[in-house]
Amino acid sequence: MNRPLRRLFLFFTLLFIALLVQLTYVQVWAAPKLKVNAANTRAIEEEMKVERGAIVSADGVELAVNRKDGQYFLREYPQGGLTSPWLGYNSLRYGRAGVERVYNEELSGQAGILGITNYWDQILGKPHRGADLKLTVNMAVQRAASEALGDRKGAVVALDPRTGAVLAMVSYPRYDPNEIDALWKDINSGPDKPLLNRAIQGLYPPGSVFKIIVAGAALQTGVVTPQTRFNDTGTVTAGGFVVRNYGGNVYGEHGFTEAFARSVNTTFAKVGVEMGADTLASFAADFGFGKAPPWPLGGAKSFFPEAGGMDKAYVAQASFGQGEVLSTPLQMALAAEAVANGGKIMKPYLVSQVLDYHQNMLRETKPQVWLQPLSGQTAASMRDLMIQVVKNGTGTAAAIQGVQVAGKTGTAEVANGEPHAWFAAFAPADNPQVVVAVLVENAGTGGSVAAPIARQVIAAALGL
Amino acid sequence: MSTRNRELVFLLPALILTTLGFALVYTQKSSTLSWSSLTYGALFLALFAIAHIGRRVLAPHADPYVLPVTALLSTLGLLVLYRLNEDLALKQAMWLVVGLVAFLLVLVFVRDLKVLRDHRFLIGIAGLLLLLFTAIFGREINGARLWVALGPVRFQPAEFGKILLVVFFAAYLVDIREALTVSTRRLLGVPLPPLRYLAPLLTIWALSMALMIFMKDLGTSLLFFGALLSLLYVATGRFFYVLVGLVLFLAGGALLYFVFPHVQTRIDIWLDPWTDPTNKGYQIVQSLFALAAGGLFGRGLGQGYLILQSGNTIIPALETDFIFSAIGEELGLVGAVGIILLYLIFTYRGFRVAMRARDDFSRLLATGLTSIFALQAFLIMGGVIKLIPLTGITLPFVSYGGSSIVANFVLLALLLRTSDKVSRQEAADREYGAGMGQR
Repeated sequence: MNRPLRRLFLFFTLLFIALLVQLTYVQVWAAPKLKVNAANTRAIEEEMKVERGAIVSADGVELAVNRKDGQYFLREYPQGGLTSPWLGYNSLRYGRAGVERVYNEELSGQAGILGITNYWDQILGKPHRGADLKLTVNMAVQRAASEALGDRKGAVVALDPRTGAVLAMVSYPRYDPNEIDALWKDINSGPDKPLLNRAIQGLYPPGSVFKIIVAGAALQTGVVTPQTRFNDTGTVTAGGFVVRNYGGNVYGEHGFTEAFARSVNTTFAKVGVEMGADTLASFAADFGFGKAPPWPLGGAKSFFPEAGGMDKAYVAQASFGQGEVLSTPLQMALAAEAVANGGKIMKPYLVSQVLDYHQNMLRETKPQVWLQPLSGQTAASMRDLMIQVVKNGTGTAAAIQGVQVAGKTGTAEVANGEPHAWFAAFAPADNPQVVVAVLVENAGTGGSVAAPIARQVIAAALGL
Repeated sequence: MSTRNRELVFLLPALILTTLGFALVYTQKSSTLSWSSLTYGALFLALFAIAHIGRRVLAPHADPYVLPVTALLSTLGLLVLYRLNEDLALKQAMWLVVGLVAFLLVLVFVRDLKVLRDHRFLIGIAGLLLLLFTAIFGREINGARLWVALGPVRFQPAEFGKILLVVFFAAYLVDIREALTVSTRRLLGVPLPPLRYLAPLLTIWALSMALMIFMKDLGTSLLFFGALLSLLYVATGRFFYVLVGLVLFLAGGALLYFVFPHVQTRIDIWLDPWTDPTNKGYQIVQSLFALAAGGLFGRGLGQGYLILQSGNTIIPALETDFIFSAIGEELGLVGAVGIILLYLIFTYRGFRVAMRARDDFSRLLATGLTSIFALQAFLIMGGVIKLIPLTGITLPFVSYGGSSIVANFVLLALLLRTSDKVSRQEAADREYGAGMGQR
């Protein structure tokens, strides 16, 4: 009777050995594949154990913080939608955007020396802390810009012209990054595209703001001087295309300064045609058209047509920023910056410092020159032209008492609906500390809609 | 060292493991050590000290290894439960106390196996009634009708029913063993027993099929049938019976596969959980992910990804059926293999009792109890690691569940009672043999 017992025990032993084999297969052999399986959410869970670095504005406002929940850290954005265009989001389900995406290695502590300490933290089983970021954004300016734009579709960019530091960047419609997981479907299917940062990703016809570049080119090449006289009869024909002034205005005899201040399209069409497509295209490129913004946040390339493909009619339209010319609001801010900064365009940047969690500085962004489209002399002449715009031209709504503001309006006509309102400006004119570009979609003229917004942003930036 | 003190010594590592484990989980949870972890250690000490003393008094010659193995399994289970859900751990601790009382009561009232043999039909009917009761009054939870509400307490009668039925069959097989092996009629060269003896066996087959149909309880029906075949094989020594049994079971199973969708679903999920990893295959797929995350050495107690943000466990039924996956993730292959080896030791000791037995009933009872225990451990561990289709049964002594814990303590008590009797007989034989030699 013992033989069947032995066999039965052998049978059970074999069953248990089968368990051991299968278990070893799952836990050791198949484990690497199982770990990266698409249905496996454990990688996300690993990330949640890392205490992501905090993000703070230049004036010390907390923009991204963590809430501890058990052993996990949940990301929170105290400023909500106000910061969404550039701060982005960190979603376990939908990934990342903005600063949260671009600086993920620093924030999650994978980059450089932090990666090594991460290794130790893992061995010691300690929660790992990522690096903190200090941004260039001044929340007082950001808030002022956001309030000035209100709930109109558009964008505002404010930079420090001396360094390229972004002081404010607003895009509307916006979204609340705290609710990204819940909002995801709506904001992706809706027509408002709140995930689009209009300041750097939106491409719009720049209209007369583009005259900053055309005038700069004309003065630099010597085609005109500020005193050159023109006569406007209301229309000018170029290559069979009839150019008219905005609102059908007729300006009669005037100087180049006045043509810029009052935004006379016919005069600029003449100047543009005289310079030719090649010169215009090469200056547009010098100002940054056709180039991606030189920073990690990316953005759209502003567009100026190929010189070879442009006939006179096209050149005439491009001379006042219509035709096929497309620009981001950031690009127009950079154009104004060239004037404000002695002809030089600085590389824009948003993150000034990367700090470890003892607040030791790991990295600091140094201001760098990106482009120099104008000479110092031309920039000075341009500054005077832009002062006249605000003093007694189309941009008087941007004037601030006690501060000399220099600017340029734009009213970009679109195929359907009201024109886009533009304004690019800097102040104080003799010692520029802030440069602003404003775009409001389908809102009316730049002078009446965009200039007042720019005035409020400048006032906030100068602490007025 | 005497047999009894050996048990005491083997209980020590279990005690140390418990106290350390609870301290570890506690520090994981709140970064400071508190008395509660030591309380669990003290509870464990008291519990198994009582079990040990009770066993020493009531069954002094019983196997000294089974109780420490049980202690290790149940405290490991308690530890993992404490890490998953403190409230459940507290309830489980309470059930361990109840189980211990049941353990002692069985040892007190079943002083002689003769009691069981004499009342075999009563026991058989009681076991059958427990199952019928569940089938009629049971509530369906998670797709299986296993639960009976008794006032505020829900329990699973099948857990107790299966032990009673094993006792009955061990006793009944002793009655009919002769008839099964010594037979005048033969079929294809195999002795065919009288039909009236075969009837109860066919009843069992019908019962396990009925279990599958009416209670949708694949696990328990597999357990019954497996235990019955083991007993039949040991009682007769004829593999033919096992073969016939398997054919019958497979035929029934195949029939059910095509008739009942839930059986089909179970099999399909086992064959390929990856076609629907977020819905039908979710449980087993998450179990495999947990095991993969554990790897060789595990992520450490309290370090696994077992509780979701919502407070639910990532694997449904993690505290009960899938507790082995939690152990695999947090203690790794090393810890999981440890659990398997503990069950193997239990199984070995159980079969050793059967092999040393001098009388048929002791032998068959030890075989039946051990088989049902080992089979249950294998079925659920094999299920959660996708070795075999998943059947919803508990991991003995480890899973959360009052009925399961108490029933397994009853099983343990019966096995130790048998072991005690076998050792006494052995000793008596030795004395007799020695006396013979002197003469």
